[in-house]
Amino acid sequence: MAHSLAEECTPMKREYDACFNAWFEGYLEPAVAATPETRRQYSTAKAAEYERNCGKIWAQYKECVQKAVKNKGLDVLLDQARAENPLKEPPSIPSPDKAS
Amino acid sequence: MHYFSQLFNYEHPWSHVVIGMWHKYPNPHCTHVVTIDTLDRTVDPRTGVIRTERLMGCKQKAPIWIVKLFGGSENAFVREISFINPATQEATITSVNLSLSQFATCYENIRYSPAPDGHTAFIQTAEIQARMSMWRSTADRLENWLVQRFEHNAQLGKMAFTDVLRSMWEAKEQHAHSCS
Repeated sequence: MAHSLAEECTPMKREYDACFNAWFEGYLEPAVAATPETRRQYSTAKAAEYERNCGKIWAQYKECVQKAVKNKGLDVLLDQARAENPLKEPPSIPSPDKAS
Repeated sequence: MHYFSQLFNYEHPWSHVVIGMWHKYPNPHCTHVVTIDTLDRTVDPRTGVIRTERLMGCKQKAPIWIVKLFGGSENAFVREISFINPATQEATITSVNLSLSQFATCYENIRYSPAPDGHTAFIQTAEIQARMSMWRSTADRLENWLVQRFEHNAQLGKMAFTDVLRSMWEAKEQHAHSCS
């Protein structure tokens, strides 16, 4: 796994990444297979499971990395980028089948 | 303004490609990507869509004229936002440069979606544009350099991800194939 931008955050980053990946690998295929009827229940249960499994290490890692972002002066650039393009919704990209 | 786009298929199913996304770095083909941090992540309890905001730190030598004119260093940062929607089987990744962003923007979109035969279509587009507050010739030189570097990195990225997917999944997929 890659390093964090701050060496002191790297152990927390690795623990968090491993937690997310383990959760995600169990999450994805049933999520794809879910029907419109079962999706909401599955998503709610899995979102809660993610929070339970990874919430604690995420909070620690996030605090560490936010501090590092600030110390390196990247918070200003990030705030500008977020203001310019919040990306709260997925961008619309022409799909290959529709584009042709 | 320069546009870039490429389109091809990865020979792996969508779910394998999307799981592989989080394992792409560090990668011997892309040694310029040195740090990756997750800044924000949400799992929508209604739709199951996962939104992730990451910060990538890259180290790539810049020509002396770039460093002199723009004060850039070899460290560059990129903001990346991804959405994974299991219902529609779409994964989109948008990346924007943070470094040198007062002079030029490099705006990249990637999408992975299912293709026939259990493959995954990859579509990548990028717009590279120098901001207007510069001498035209300087803006052109800056744009050209960014385009060259983007195209080079796009090729490396393709090799990098192909290798990662192969080493993660090849044995498993062959096994599934022989069992079907």
